[in-house]
Amino acid sequence: MILNDRISGILMLVLAVAYGWGATQFPEPFGGSEAVGPETFPLLLAVVLGLSSLYLIVRPDPDNAWPWSRTGLELIIALVVLVLYAMLLQPLGFIISTLLAVGTLCWRMGARPVKAYVTGGVAGGVVFLLFNFALDLSLPLGLLSFLEVS
Amino acid sequence: METLGFLIDGFGVALAPHNLMFSLLGAFLGTLIGALPGLGPANGVAILIPLAFTLGLAPETAMIMLTAVYAGAMYGGRISSILLNIPGDEPAMMTCLDGYPMAQQGKAAEALAISAVASFMGSLIATIGLILLAPILADFALTFGPAEYFALFMLAFATLGGITGKNPVKTIVAAAIGLMIATVGIDNTGVQRYTFGVLELFEGVDFIIAIVGLFAISELLFFIEEKAGGGKEKMSVNKLKLTWADIRGILPSSMRGGILGFIAGVLPGAGASLGSFIGYTLEKKVVGSKGYFGKGDPRGVAGPEAGNNGASSGALVPMLTLGVPGSGTTAVLLALLISLNITPGPLMFTQNADLVWGVIAALLIGNFLLLVLNIPLVGIFVKLLSVPPMYLLPIVTMVAFVGIYSISNSTFDLYFMVVFGIAGYLFRKLEIPLVPVILGLLLGPEMEKNLRHAMDISDGDWTVLWDSGLAIGLWVFAGLGLILPYIVGPLLLRRMNSAVANQTD
Repeated sequence: MILNDRISGILMLVLAVAYGWGATQFPEPFGGSEAVGPETFPLLLAVVLGLSSLYLIVRPDPDNAWPWSRTGLELIIALVVLVLYAMLLQPLGFIISTLLAVGTLCWRMGARPVKAYVTGGVAGGVVFLLFNFALDLSLPLGLLSFLEVS
Repeated sequence: METLGFLIDGFGVALAPHNLMFSLLGAFLGTLIGALPGLGPANGVAILIPLAFTLGLAPETAMIMLTAVYAGAMYGGRISSILLNIPGDEPAMMTCLDGYPMAQQGKAAEALAISAVASFMGSLIATIGLILLAPILADFALTFGPAEYFALFMLAFATLGGITGKNPVKTIVAAAIGLMIATVGIDNTGVQRYTFGVLELFEGVDFIIAIVGLFAISELLFFIEEKAGGGKEKMSVNKLKLTWADIRGILPSSMRGGILGFIAGVLPGAGASLGSFIGYTLEKKVVGSKGYFGKGDPRGVAGPEAGNNGASSGALVPMLTLGVPGSGTTAVLLALLISLNITPGPLMFTQNADLVWGVIAALLIGNFLLLVLNIPLVGIFVKLLSVPPMYLLPIVTMVAFVGIYSISNSTFDLYFMVVFGIAGYLFRKLEIPLVPVILGLLLGPEMEKNLRHAMDISDGDWTVLWDSGLAIGLWVFAGLGLILPYIVGPLLLRRMNSAVANQTD
């Protein structure tokens, strides 16, 4: 199977065409056009990417296997954790969201749950203290804001 | 002699107490980063950049700290080669050949100490080379016009894959994608390009977010996929018994390795892998049948290790003088310079002389610090090496989150970083190299600017790009850089692999 490069080649060809088309749609800059306008460089890039993706479609490399089934699921879990971490960092506060995110990641990578979440909690607490007191940078406290010392 | 004066000023900068402190911190962190599994030097330096910003460090202090990290990572990489027979990165491959047998014979401490001394020698020689060569090259680079710069950037991309690179077309794809991302934002004629009306994109994509995402987050995903969370067996190191005679024995090897490594580091496209490979082969040739290479000959540790470190200091020459990095880690250092609002290139030697020479002096001092750190503290590094990745990588991920968040306190940047992480994972799966993407991001604006200037001067005549002899030369080398890997690459890789295979049988 040599599908990877073919499919990515096709996707990148689409990207190149869309990107190049986008470049032709730029409004003319204020003060009239010049030899190299805002669209020149992007058009060059679109041609380069287009040609090399055609090459990939015609002469693809052998494939790397994709992790389907369980490992794929673990990857998706990890991604969900990362997105949730970003989303909840402010509302939940740094310490709690780190406890949950780092803990879950350690656990899914094979650590025992208790150890994993203890690691997450300790790491979150230490980094929070380091940033807020030693480095004078405020990370959000979120739910724990009642602990705030004024 | 002018150089000497600058260097003395540089020492004045580097020896200021707080710079020295950060240099020491950087050296320690760097060795740690080099030693830990799953944290390459480029990755480690990238994660530390946002932290350098949040600490509010002065430009020269930030640069000194991260150069120390860079130098330290090269020292650290050898620890896992010697103790575990697992090279941290490609250049460390040759250190395994004699380092691991030494460890098996119960001489791990000696192997580590010898490699530390050899690393020191290699870096020292290369730093002296840097001091001699860099000002000359910077002067020469001042004669470059916009057309030559444009050709030089092409050369940088073409040789980035390196002699041992796999598929040059994928290097081109990667570079084009990086350059495309760099065009996002308001360009200098005031036109919005590819912003889709999203406010956060008006100023373009912050390359620090891209770098941390591409390296750190994709590394986490790779470890999860390979289920490599368990870590390795515990190791112990014997008590060090090293005599002066042992050190004298490896000095010639270290010198030869260091000089060769420096040359390989300066040349575009050769890099540290080639440096350590040539270092090893040369040692075998020179010592001949008197050696017992592959069975734990100390000279087989010293040669490639000096070559490897020499090459990594040599790689700083094109980065500092031309603003064109030759490796992933120097690209990350370039990212730091650009985000400190320093325009890299030949003018840096005149406009930011204290910074450049401060960094060079710091490199010298850093080497002494590293040698001092590495021999007595090796036990600590070895202990840390046995921290299983299942704890380590989530914590590294958290540090990446904290770093990015602290730049702008925005959640948008964090999402962006995760997206870059996914892209990095997919690219690595497709064997599209990540370094050209980053180089494209970094050099994109400069490249377009030079193209514009060249065209404005020539009134829209494209032939100006290959009008001067110098420009033609650069284009020819760029072409060779793309074609040579097809011819020489497989040959060289086969020889490196067969050398490794012969030894391990």
